[in-house]
Parts: sequence; C-alpha cells; structure tokens
Amino acid sequence: MRTKAIAAIALIALAAGCSSSGGDKPGPGSSAPAAGGKLVIWGDDKRAAALKPFAERFGQENGVTVEVQAISKDQQTTFVTASQQGSGPDVMVGAHDWIGNLVQNGAVDPVQLTAAQQEGIAPNALKAVTFNGQVYGVPYATENLALIRNTKLAPDAPATVEDLVATGRKLRSQKKASEILCLQVGQNGDAYHLYPFFTSAGGYLFGRTAAGDYDPKDLGVGKPASIAAFEKIRKLGEKGDGALKRSITVENSIATFTAGKCAYLVSGPWAVTDVKKAKMAYDVSPVPGFAGGKPAQPFLGVQTFYVAAKGKNKALAQEFVTNYVTAPELAVALYEAEPRPPALTAAFDQVKGTDPDLAKFVDAGKNAVPLPAVPEMATIWDPFGKAESAVIGGADPKTALSAAAKTISSQIK
Amino acid sequence: MKTALLERETAPAVAPRGPRRGGARGRLLTVLLLGPVAAIALWAAFPLLEQGHWIALGVLAAATAGLFYLYLSPRHVPAKYLVPGTLFLLIFQLFPVLYTASTAFTNFSDGHRGDKRDAVVAIQTASVTRVPGSAEYVLTVATTGDPATGPLSFLVTDPATGRVSAGTAGGLRTLPPGEVTVNPAGRVTAAAGYTVLTGGQAAARGREITGLVVPTAGGAIRSQGLTRAYEGRAGRAYDEGCDCIREAATGKTWTADDGRGAFIAADGERLAQGWRVGVGLANFTRLITDPAISGPFARTLIWNLIFALASTGGTFVLGLGCALALHSPRMRGRALYRTLLVLPYAMPSFAMLLVWRDMFNTDFGLINNLSGLGVDWFGGATSARIAVILVQLWLGYPYMFLVATGALQAIPAELSEASKLDGAGPWQSLRRVTLPLLLVALTPLLISSFAFNFNNFNAIYLTTDGAPFAADNPANGATDLLITYTYRLAFGGSGAQYGFAAAVSVFIFVIVAVISVVSFRRTRRQEEVYS
Amino acid sequence: MTDCTEPRPGWAGDGRGGEGQEGMKMRLSMRWFSAVGWRHGVAVVALLFSLFPIVFVVSAALNPLGTLSSTTVLPRGASFGNFSRLLTETPFPHWFLNSVLIAGVSAAASVFLSALAAYAFSRLRFRGRRPGLLALLLIQMFPQFLAIVAIFLMFSTITELWPPIGFNRSWGLILLYLGGALGVNTWLMKGFFDTVPRELDESATMDGASHAQTFFRILLPLVAPILAVSGMLAFIGTINEFLIANVFLTDTGAKTLPVGMYGLVAGERNSNFGMFCAGTLLTAVPTVLVFQVLQRAIVTGLTAGAVKG
Repeated sequence: MRTKAIAAIALIALAAGCSSSGGDKPGPGSSAPAAGGKLVIWGDDKRAAALKPFAERFGQENGVTVEVQAISKDQQTTFVTASQQGSGPDVMVGAHDWIGNLVQNGAVDPVQLTAAQQEGIAPNALKAVTFNGQVYGVPYATENLALIRNTKLAPDAPATVEDLVATGRKLRSQKKASEILCLQVGQNGDAYHLYPFFTSAGGYLFGRTAAGDYDPKDLGVGKPASIAAFEKIRKLGEKGDGALKRSITVENSIATFTAGKCAYLVSGPWAVTDVKKAKMAYDVSPVPGFAGGKPAQPFLGVQTFYVAAKGKNKALAQEFVTNYVTAPELAVALYEAEPRPPALTAAFDQVKGTDPDLAKFVDAGKNAVPLPAVPEMATIWDPFGKAESAVIGGADPKTALSAAAKTISSQIK
Repeated sequence: MKTALLERETAPAVAPRGPRRGGARGRLLTVLLLGPVAAIALWAAFPLLEQGHWIALGVLAAATAGLFYLYLSPRHVPAKYLVPGTLFLLIFQLFPVLYTASTAFTNFSDGHRGDKRDAVVAIQTASVTRVPGSAEYVLTVATTGDPATGPLSFLVTDPATGRVSAGTAGGLRTLPPGEVTVNPAGRVTAAAGYTVLTGGQAAARGREITGLVVPTAGGAIRSQGLTRAYEGRAGRAYDEGCDCIREAATGKTWTADDGRGAFIAADGERLAQGWRVGVGLANFTRLITDPAISGPFARTLIWNLIFALASTGGTFVLGLGCALALHSPRMRGRALYRTLLVLPYAMPSFAMLLVWRDMFNTDFGLINNLSGLGVDWFGGATSARIAVILVQLWLGYPYMFLVATGALQAIPAELSEASKLDGAGPWQSLRRVTLPLLLVALTPLLISSFAFNFNNFNAIYLTTDGAPFAADNPANGATDLLITYTYRLAFGGSGAQYGFAAAVSVFIFVIVAVISVVSFRRTRRQEEVYS
Repeated sequence: MTDCTEPRPGWAGDGRGGEGQEGMKMRLSMRWFSAVGWRHGVAVVALLFSLFPIVFVVSAALNPLGTLSSTTVLPRGASFGNFSRLLTETPFPHWFLNSVLIAGVSAAASVFLSALAAYAFSRLRFRGRRPGLLALLLIQMFPQFLAIVAIFLMFSTITELWPPIGFNRSWGLILLYLGGALGVNTWLMKGFFDTVPRELDESATMDGASHAQTFFRILLPLVAPILAVSGMLAFIGTINEFLIANVFLTDTGAKTLPVGMYGLVAGERNSNFGMFCAGTLLTAVPTVLVFQVLQRAIVTGLTAGAVKG
C-alpha cells in the first residue's frame, strides 16, 4: 500500500511537472536564451499588455527574444531590489518621479539622446526626466489632472471653485446629484489630487532655489501660506460646503461620477476610458482655482522607459529605449491602450485629431509642475495626506499642518 | 491528489495487523525513495560543477551522503521524521529570517543597497555626458574575425561629414572612403577587412559592446544601443589615492566615509549613491530614543495586544460555537452548512479585505446604506477598531470552525457519553470533558494564531491603513498595529529603510516571543496530563 | 456576530428537559428545538454573517457595469459578461491552473512533511524536543514583510544555477512555500497525535511493527480528520498567498490567481472591479471543491479509527 501511495505521489509530481513545463511559459525558450540574447521588460499590467506586440516586433527585427513581464504592485521597490541582486529586467517602464530614488540606488543609467530626438519630445516631459543635468529615460506619455464634467448636469465649465460649488450645491438641492464634486480624498488623504486647489489657495510644498529646482531646505507645509490655503480647503470640507469628503476614495470617485451622482470629477486621462464606457456627455476643462487666488497647478506626471543599470543586456536595452521607443508608432499604440497624451510630439499630432480630449488635457496641464523627482518628495505624501484628511474632516489646519511639517522635516536627512 | 493520499491512509486501518514484516520490504522502499534523492542531487551538482562552486558542491555532497546514512542506518529514528521538513525550514525560512535580522545592524536602505564598488560605478556612469559639439555617430558593430568570437570594432559614421572611422580599445582610425559602403541611414553595410555583425549577432555580444570604450582626445566613444554611439566624458571619477570622488571640471572632492557609507565633501554635501555598512546598534538606539517612535509605542502596543486577543479569542469562540452546533449526527444538511460556512475563508483574503473596506465607507458603503446608521466608521477611533476586529472575525472564524470541527471528531464519543451517564448536563460535559481535550490540541494553534494576528499587516494595511489619525499626529493612527506603524516609519519616509525596519522587526519579535514562550510553558503541563 | 454563541444557553438549560410542560405538541417542538432546532438556528445566523459580503461580491460580479459604487446587495442586472471577459481576455485559465498546481502540491507535501515531524514530536522522546517545538513556533513569528530581500538574494542564485526551480517557475515557488510547511501544521497535528492513546502504538510495537509501520498504519488513519483539515488550511493559505508570489512570478503566464487578479484592479483603477469579483468567486471554487472532497475525510475518517480504537 505504501508503494502505491508513493507511486501515486510520484505520478502526481510527474503530471504536475509536465503541466508546469507545458503551461507556464507562453514565450519560446525562457530557459535557454535564443542565440541573439534576451531582452526583459517590466511594466505594470496595463502597459505590459500594450507593449507586447511592439516588443515582439523589436525582437524579430533584431533576432532576439523579448519578454514583457508585468509587476502588479510596488513596481519601483521590486525593480530596485531585483536589480540589486541581478534578477531585474533590462528595461523598466514607470513614472518619472522615481528617478531620484533610482539614481541614488544606481538602478538606472542616463540615456544619450540626439538633438533631433530631444526636439521630438514635449519640452515639459523632457524637463521632467532630466535629473542633475542628465536625461534618465525616454518619456512616452504625460498625465495631469483636469476637471471632467457631466455636461448634462453642468453645461458650462466653472471659472472658479466657488462657481463649481455653487452649481454643485444647486444640483444637490434639486436632487439631480448627490455630491458636489468627485475628488478622491479617502481616509488618509491624497496630496496629488488636492494639489491644484492647494496651490490656487496659495500653499506650497517646497520653495525653489534660484535655479528653479525644488529646495528641500525650504519646506512650505507648515508655513502660514499653506495654513491659510488649508483654511480654504476646510471650508470646502465636510463641516463646510461638503464638496470634499473622505468617503470619496480612489476606488469610487470615478464610478460615482459615471453613475451620475456628481457633476464634476477631478481626475486624469485614465478616467476617460470609464467615462466613455458609461456613454455620458462630458467635457474636459482645467481644474479651476479659487476666485482671486493663484492659478490652480496640477502635477505633471511623465511615463518613462528606463534603461536598467544592472540589466544583463544593456546594449539591447539602450537600443530599444533610445532608438525604438523614440519612434512615434509605439507611443501611439500605448496611447490606444490607455488614453494619456503621448509625450512625443509626432505621436501627439498623429492622434490629437481623433481625440479632442487630448488637447484639453494638455491645456489643463498648461500650468502643471512636474512631480518633484527628488527623494525628499517621498516624505511629503503620507503626512500631507493625513493632514488633508483631518482638515477635510473638520480639524484645525494649523494643528494638522504643523504636525505634518514636523513629521516631514524629521524624515528629511 | 490529497484524497488519494487520504484514502490510502485510512485503508490500512481495517487491514489486519500481521507479524513483523517491516524488514525487507521497508528496506526496499527506503532505497526506492533514496533513488530520486540521488537523482536530484546529481542534477543539482552539474551546474555547480560547471561554474566551479566547490563549496556548494561539497555541501550538496555532504547533505546527500548524510541523507543516505540517516535512512539506511537503523539509528537516529527521530531524525528520520524531522529532517525532511527541517531541511526546507532551514533553507527557505530560517535563512531569510536570519538574513533579515542581520540587516538590523546595517544602514541597508535606499541609497545604501550595494557595496562601495557599486556606488563608484553608479557615480561614474551618472556623470558621463556628451562632449559638447561632438558628433552624433551612427554605429555599426563589426569584427575582424569570427562574428561570434572575433575582436570587436565600432565602425562609426559621422552623419555630418559621412566619414567612417573604426574604433577599438586602442583608439580611433579613419577608414579610407573607398573601402566602406554606407547606406543612406549612415550605417556601414560592408567594409574591407571587417565582418559587419547582424542585429542578432550584435545583441548576443551586448555585454562586450557595452564594455567597449574607444578612447579619443576629448573623452571616449561609447555605444548607445546597437546603432548609435556618442563621444562622452566622465565628469567624476574615483581616485584610489585619496579614496575619494573627484570632479574633473571643478576639482571638488567627496571623500569616502566608511562609517556612514557615503562620499562626503568638505562642505558636507553628500553624494546620493552610497553603500551599505555596518552601523552596530544605531538602528536600535534610534528605535528607543526617537520620541516620534517611542512616544506612541505603549499605546500602540496595548491596542495591538487587544486586537490580537480579540481576533484570536473571538474567532475561536465563534468557530467553536458553530462547530459544536454542527456536531450532531442527527442534524440534516450539515455538509451544506459546513461548506457555506467555510466560504469566507475560501475567498481570497486580500480581495475580501478590500471589499470590507468599501462596505464600511461612510456615504457609499453597504453597511451604512443597509442599516441607515450613518456612522463614520473609519473616522472615529472606537468605531474603526470595532470595524477592523469585525472584519477579522469574519475572515478568521471559519478557520477556527474547521479546526474545531476536526478536533471534535477526534474526541471519542464514549467520553462525552460517559460524562452524560455521570449525570452531567451538556454544558458541564462541554466544560469538563470536551473543552479541556480540545484545548490540548488547540492551544498551540491559538498561540500561533495570536502571533499571526499580532503581526497581521494586511488586516490593517488594506482596510484602514491605521486611520483615524489624530490631527496632531500623522504618524500613528488609532488602528495602527506595531507592524503597520513601523512599516510607515521605515518605508513612508524618504526611501525604504530596511536596516531600521529589520531592527523594529527584531524588537517586535522579542515581544511576541516572550508572550508565546510564557504561554508555551503552560502547554507542558497539558502535555504531561494527557501523555 | 454573536450568532454562534447566543442560542447556546437554551441548549444548556433544556438539556435535561421534560419538567412538565403544558402541551404535548409544545413539548415535542421544544425537544426538537433543544436537540436539533437550535443548531439550525445557529447555523442560519452564522450563514447570514458569512455570506452577506459574498453576496455583495456575487452581485458585483454579475453587474455588467462592474463598478463598486454602482453595486448593490442584490444584483441589478444579471450578466455573465464579467466572467466571459475574464476567461477570454485575460490569462485567467493559466493563472487558475498554476494556482491549483502550486496550492495542491504544496498542501499535499506540507501535510506529509508536518505529519512526519508531528509524529516525532508527539511519540518519540529525544534531546531538544521541547526547544525544537518552541523554535518551530518562534520562527513563524518573525515579521515576514522584509523577507522579500532575502528571497531575491537566494533565488537570483538559484535561477542562475537551476532555472527549473528559479523565478517564474511553479516548482521554485512550491519549494519556497514548503519552507513554511512545518510551521503551524506540525503544531496542529502534534496536538492530535497527543490525543490518540499511546497504548495503541505500544500494542502495535508489541506485535512487532516497526516505527514506520506504527506511523503509517496506526497513527495516520486515526488522525485523518486533522490531516484533511490541515491539508485544507495549507491549500487555502497557499492559493491566497500574494506578497511572495507577486515578486516571484513576473511572467504573465506563470502568475497565480491573486497576483494576476490584483493586476486587473491595479492596472485600471476601478473599472475592472466586476471582473475582479468574478475572479474572486472563481478562485474560491477549487477551495470549495477541495473542501467538499475532504469533508468526508474530516467526518468519517475518524469513525473508522474509533471503531478500531
């Protein structure tokens, strides 16, 4: 009987082995690299899928195997950790504000672009991927927040936050909408989405050096200007107009808008797919600022291809990133996978005719400031978000921001 | 596959027990089992042999020989049963734990991940810029020998002049125009004395191509991919003499500080690319002396204990209650009930945590919508704590239900019947007979469930993420466990601080371990009672 | 919440029953209630508690809009669109097979390994037994969220030397999971071995059985319920594991269910929620099937043993 059991186990193991070697690998020869070598590209799930056909074409043209793999969570940390141990990819796709951290870990190499290539990239995108005077990646798409509105409920774009709130309150009292504004806050705040209002109300995160770079030594979070800005935000919060609410989160803000429960949504180009799917009449305009305030500045994010410093096949990676990605076809394909404005001017011109939203998003991003890539920025997000959430819930701005500033400055080395 | 195993294990119970016949057949089986071990060892040995990992090879040989000795000799009976699992435990669990613990004494963090050499390479690479005014060369990789092994040359075309030069590590020399054919894109298609590599051939030699540096007067020509090259110059270089990084243009130096793992200039400026060094007990000192960390520590620890106790105790009471209720042969539909009750446990827990979080949403959540309560669940400390414990009960009680069901089955029915005959009511027989017996089997499980919940990262991270936070303290929330709190400390700030996080892990471990060892001592008495 | 415990006092009080109630009918129904009825009551309350979030997931999976805020407890429109999209547009079938393979093999292997160890800890006496047990317990308690770094360190080398058990291979992940095999399971089983009277194996030894025979033929059948339970627990634990699998499996085709499904919601923020819920439900299917199969072992396995004992 024991023999039978052992035989059974062996059989199971064998069957499992066959199925695993048969079913696990879609690409040919992941164990034995093809003669020409292998290029491994990592991105998130969405981009990995869009990249695949192009990566394969690149592979065929160059006689190499290309594997596109998706990392679902913590892409940046996983990339840095894997790279350090030599298990990382050759090419990484990610946001530009990673650069500071990637550079201090020696995880990416600068790329040398020709003058012509640099001219082909939108200037603000190119600026975003430039760090300490070096270009660290090739941008392919930009993104920034805009105000998306349900034109059936709100036919006109609001000129100011006050206009927006007035219209939103009217709709709410008429029972046409249940919320004034869908802007994700969540239990622990969301500095990225609040930033346009924050800047319009006069707040700032870091001061600037004479050269225009962020100055980590001048932290603006606890300063009177930022506290005054949070007073305005508090008035929009749960104890005030109720335009900003902690119950509106990253998960439900877009869905609430597409369900017609609010007339306005502050979100980025990624939201458009869902809005279109809901078959509603909508329009895109810049995020408004407060009446008499400063202009509302959203953050500019740039999706970027990086050459991994510790990749196994750097020459191939450089070839892919600097000579293949800079061609517009790939940018167009990535746009089709997710409608963010392409960073390559040629690709942008190619698709803008068919998609009027793109120009509107770019217009909304006219004032945008690139997300700071300095590692110090990482200390801001969490405490700032907590302060935002507390103030929207009705807490005293001075207390909340002073505490946040204290936490942030204790973490900046 | 599990069933096959089980059926076979149940079957022999009815088979008659014969006289001793372990001998020959047992020996045969041992050999049959050791066969695959030898085969696997052999398979594992070849790559080690090829790459010359002699120590690893020795360990492998010794381990295999040890296994053979162990299972062929009649002695060391306990080891025969313990070794298989322990091997896995040592390699895949103990090693990561020890490795993590050892990083607690280093400055391992973002910017300090690799060794000094890595840092130097990173600094030099990051400082390479194109020589101003230099040509943007079109590159063709060629060789003077065999495409797979011959020495490499860069054939670089200056697009402005159309001039082609051949570059090697020895330098650059211009090729006479008559000897090369250049296509309109500037790439060389043929050159006398050279074999042009195809894309695939070049890709296969990518490492050599990246490594080839052609010195020039202004700097050096390096490849950028397989079809372009540029003339670049490293702005900063490592100088072994002063153990420092020197910037060519300004002459500024950053001297290596091996205590901090960074290059630091005289004016205090530090280069971002550092390396990993031992820092002794610095991480532990920081843990104890930093008021931002030690301040809310006691409060967090108390809530952490309450959370772990409530989750473990609550799931146990609920699970046991349900198991008792379903523990009756007279009851119909037990199988269906059991299957449905286990469902919460069968659902992927990370997904269900997210679903629960959304159900607790103040305005859109199912709970408020159905009950009409309008409670700001995650906004108040008490309600948030109740909510996270409730979620844990939901997720965890099917586990206790399963275990308790199994345990109840194991208690011989005669025992409770006997106590019934003694005139004990069901409640008394539960307390006097069933519960004590159950606890023998389940106490260790309760301890480990306590330990799991004590460090139940996902339970908080995926639901409240520590919320609510008091307005004056954005670092420590009302539902924060020690582990989520330290996760935020270690990873919420500027970059990941593994060394510090490891120190905190060690600290948490000591707390849980002390609690567990104390509880464990009590199991000795039980073990003695029932053995 | 108080579902399971609430009705218990009734059961405890009415156990002896029959103290002269009014009507026959009443007495009968009381007796039914005290014997069986209350059990159904408890079970139904527990079911409500267990199932209502799942009903929500079901209705989200059936909701063609597939968004969170548009989902109510009862589905508004029933459509299997989410399921068919999941099965055709994503490598879900791959993930499913990988998960079942990984969870199945590691559950079976870990039950076997821990049964061996539990036997030694329960029946054999050797130096370092109690410290060994304690060490097993303690190793589990080390916070694991930093282990990723060590895993990369280790498996980068392994992948280089032995690709079939390296990154992106089910077998590598299974090996890694087996590192935790001895953990909780050994404790659970040891507790049960302890409840089996020692006289049983002593008499077997008298009859001339070797330790192996005692283990395989006497003890294992007796603890079949707990083998089934711990196999079940190991299966569920592995099939839901996310953190390690996420960094271990990057090849789309090699992923497991949690990793693949997380990618569905992570990539598109919210609009895949319906598909995600559909996937969550399908993930539960193998677990429920395994439970169905093992349930018989949990309940009847012991009966065979008990008759013998």
